[in-house]
Amino acid sequence: MVLAVRARNLRVGYVDEDENILWAVKGVSFEVNQGEVFCLVGESGCGKSTIGNTIIGILPPYAVTDGELHVFGKPVVRGNHRDYSGIRGRIVSYVPQNPGTSLNPYQTIGTQLYYVLNSVYGWDKKKSLEVAKKYLSLVELDPEETVDRYPHELSGGMQQRAAIAIALSTGAKIVVADEPTSALDAHLRLQLIKLLMKLKESESLTLVMITHDLVAAGKICDSVAVVYAGEILEKCSGSNVIVEPLHPYTQMLADAVPLLGFKRRLKSIPGEPPRPDEEVTGCVFAPRCHLAFEKCVEPPPHFKVYKGEVACWRYAGNAKQ
Amino acid sequence: MPLSLNYLTKRIVWIFLVIIGVVVFSYTAIIISPGDPAVKWAGNPRGPNASLAIELARKELGLDKPPLIQVLKFVADVFTGNIGLSIAYKIPVFEVILRRLVATLELLLISYLIAIPLGVFLGIESALHRNGKLDTFLQSLGTVLANTPTFWVGAWLFLTLILLGAYPYGRVDPKIATATGFHPITGFYLIDALVEGNLIVFVNILSKIISPAIAIAIYPIGVLVRLTRALVSDALLEDYIRASVAWGVSRSVIIWRYALKAITPGLVQVIGLAFSYSLVDAMAVEYVVFGREGLGSLLIDSLNYGDFRLAVGLIIIVAVFYLLVNTLTDIIQALIDPKVRL
Amino acid sequence: MSAVISDSRKSPNSSVKGLYQNLTRRYLRRTKFKIGLVITLVVLVLALVSPWVVPYPDEGAGYVPPEASQREKEPPSLRFFFGTDTRGRDLFSRVIMGVRSAVIQITTVISLSLLIGLLAGVLAAYFKGVVEIILNYLVELFISIPAVIIALVLRLALGPGLMTVIASLVTTWWSWYARITYVYARSVMEMDYVTLARLSGLSPLKIMTRHVMRNVLTPVLVQAVTDMGSVLLEASTINFLGLGLPLNSPEWGVIMLEGLSVLEIAPWISAYPGFFLLVTALGFSLVGDTLREEIDPRLRRRWRLWF
Repeated sequence: MVLAVRARNLRVGYVDEDENILWAVKGVSFEVNQGEVFCLVGESGCGKSTIGNTIIGILPPYAVTDGELHVFGKPVVRGNHRDYSGIRGRIVSYVPQNPGTSLNPYQTIGTQLYYVLNSVYGWDKKKSLEVAKKYLSLVELDPEETVDRYPHELSGGMQQRAAIAIALSTGAKIVVADEPTSALDAHLRLQLIKLLMKLKESESLTLVMITHDLVAAGKICDSVAVVYAGEILEKCSGSNVIVEPLHPYTQMLADAVPLLGFKRRLKSIPGEPPRPDEEVTGCVFAPRCHLAFEKCVEPPPHFKVYKGEVACWRYAGNAKQ
Repeated sequence: MPLSLNYLTKRIVWIFLVIIGVVVFSYTAIIISPGDPAVKWAGNPRGPNASLAIELARKELGLDKPPLIQVLKFVADVFTGNIGLSIAYKIPVFEVILRRLVATLELLLISYLIAIPLGVFLGIESALHRNGKLDTFLQSLGTVLANTPTFWVGAWLFLTLILLGAYPYGRVDPKIATATGFHPITGFYLIDALVEGNLIVFVNILSKIISPAIAIAIYPIGVLVRLTRALVSDALLEDYIRASVAWGVSRSVIIWRYALKAITPGLVQVIGLAFSYSLVDAMAVEYVVFGREGLGSLLIDSLNYGDFRLAVGLIIIVAVFYLLVNTLTDIIQALIDPKVRL
Repeated sequence: MSAVISDSRKSPNSSVKGLYQNLTRRYLRRTKFKIGLVITLVVLVLALVSPWVVPYPDEGAGYVPPEASQREKEPPSLRFFFGTDTRGRDLFSRVIMGVRSAVIQITTVISLSLLIGLLAGVLAAYFKGVVEIILNYLVELFISIPAVIIALVLRLALGPGLMTVIASLVTTWWSWYARITYVYARSVMEMDYVTLARLSGLSPLKIMTRHVMRNVLTPVLVQAVTDMGSVLLEASTINFLGLGLPLNSPEWGVIMLEGLSVLEIAPWISAYPGFFLLVTALGFSLVGDTLREEIDPRLRRRWRLWF
């Protein structure tokens, strides 16, 4: 069975005005199986969005890459060469973080769907409209109404649903959702996640979710990768990540989230993640880790533990590398 | 229509205020400058009827009344269309101006018909090949063009045509016009010729309008090549462009539909400004270099005859023209951008 | 595409309004700036020394020596580099001395416009009320009238001469700077410490002026440099139409006008001054453009068609 997404030592950086490269993603490897829900979890600025953008193929012009990324077996990133022909839309689709700015303000929803479907499948206006209406009702929007609306005439929640409709209409089997709920009001978040889960089942999708909410990730994801400062610190199954976090960072993330019904003291994580241009030697989390010890001045390899994978010297003894 | 009555009313009021401002300015200029204003207003007349003309001018200017009344009376006169007869032409000033305005307008429109598609297309190509050889060449060319004096280019084109044996003077060859019975109605000679079905005259008119049109087009082409490239480069980094690319929209659709539509409001605004600037360019080049009648010829005549009334008429028309162009660009922007409602 | 691969610290100058930092190193890297700077420097130098550099300075100034009638409209030669004009004067001298006229016109117009514009902007924001309304009206009024038309009115009222040219141009240009200044000054007025100063009896006008000037001066000056080319072109248009300086003046627009009547037999008379106009305006434009790009760091990012 071909893996939906496969990354080997993927590095992604950005070139600034003075031609220096700042690496946002510093060598990550992961695999996403078909049909699963895969989460990339981390704080803001840790590089998870960049990984997402690399899968989708919308890295900005001043980006550089290294390593490998395969989508359904096709090498999409190899070294600094990126080739997304046939991938965008058709195979991989995108649910944006901010639907307000991600929909074309000068066109109605219907027209936008037309251009997408026309580019991907070559359909004419009539057929595109039919398909468009089908997907709009799938996301629980009124098809007749929405088709003639401009984005700014829709509410935030409706905009996000419209974006999802467009994303799915391309028939892509992999959908990357970049913090799909962060632009929404709290009461809409659960609704949207439920919608995404339902669609994943009905359309047989592989879902890559990028989020900073560890608890949400744990609830809905099959596998989780915890990202910090451009590196993956831990990979494990969704259900385990909150209950039995492996890496100290994951543990601290879990401790920092309020859980309904539990009265306990919340602990925030001291310090800040390193800036992209800071030199890091050794374990990237060591400066903030309360469990750090002498070995942590060397960068830890990824240790396979029975529940997953973790990059922490604490597991050196009871694991195979 | 994305217009509101409120907007239109504000615009009309503003146009009135501008006309008043311009008239007061001209009036002040003639009153406070050294020399006898009545003489200037009368056009420095000589000969037997001179003193009569000067007395008449004195009354028209209201110089016998206190200053505030003078100004108000003058403004009122202007609004009733009563600046009097143009000294140069002996017919009412506004009649003269409106007739010639059409000629200059025709020239400007043809010029921009060339400049806009060319400038925008080259600008887009420049953006797509940004930092490449084509881009560097086009941008340098654009900068040079935007700084080229129109009357200089006009002179060169004129000279070239003369040396080639063509006769680039005027708007139409009078011999051909009379021979084919050409009777312009609207004043837009090209349209008049087509309406009459008069192809010979049409070709003649076209051949004469091309060179000054190209000369005038040089500046907007330069501006548009640079502007479009900047706008396109920015537009292509927008969130919705990235999302559309992620959803698989093809490159040509993104560039020629999405990006082009997105930059249109910005383009229209600058085109409006350039168009107003080109009015003056056109006036400078059409008569002095190409011998065409238009607002330019009025300018020169006003100068040569000391025709102050004509000058006041001109300044009013030009100011109103600027405002109308400005309003038009506002409307076009509102039509394109669904978020803008005037 | 040789990017330095390193995890280096970010250079401190990139994001700040670093117009004044690393002046020579950054600007001289750009060809655009080098060309513009060379042109501008040559122009300024010529403006200063032209009477002593040209072969026929009095002819350059307009004087027609008696023997000139023998050599009217001669094509360029070793003796007369650009040929002679309609009255037999050395065209080279006239055109080179025209640099001085151009520079005088530009600098006077720009400095007066800046002065009046900055003042008006600050006063309008400070005094508010009636003063604000009137000044706003004047700004909007004069921004929308071209200098050439004002030149016509002033020419008929005042007569020909340098004054007319300068007055017409200043009447239009001050409004641009007034607008920029006013917008900025208005936001400064809202600031807390201005209100505080006013309450404690200090003159907020001084504070406001100082603060406004400090922040608005840079972008306004950059704008002014870029405007120099346009001002030059407009000034020469005014002179070309005979609305400003009289015939025989050492001014490019005027010389071009003189050359028009003999365009077929002596094209060089109109050719050279126009060329100098182009190059000079271009020089100022290039310098102004580079300065503007330095203020906006976004423009310098690497860009490529990425899809």
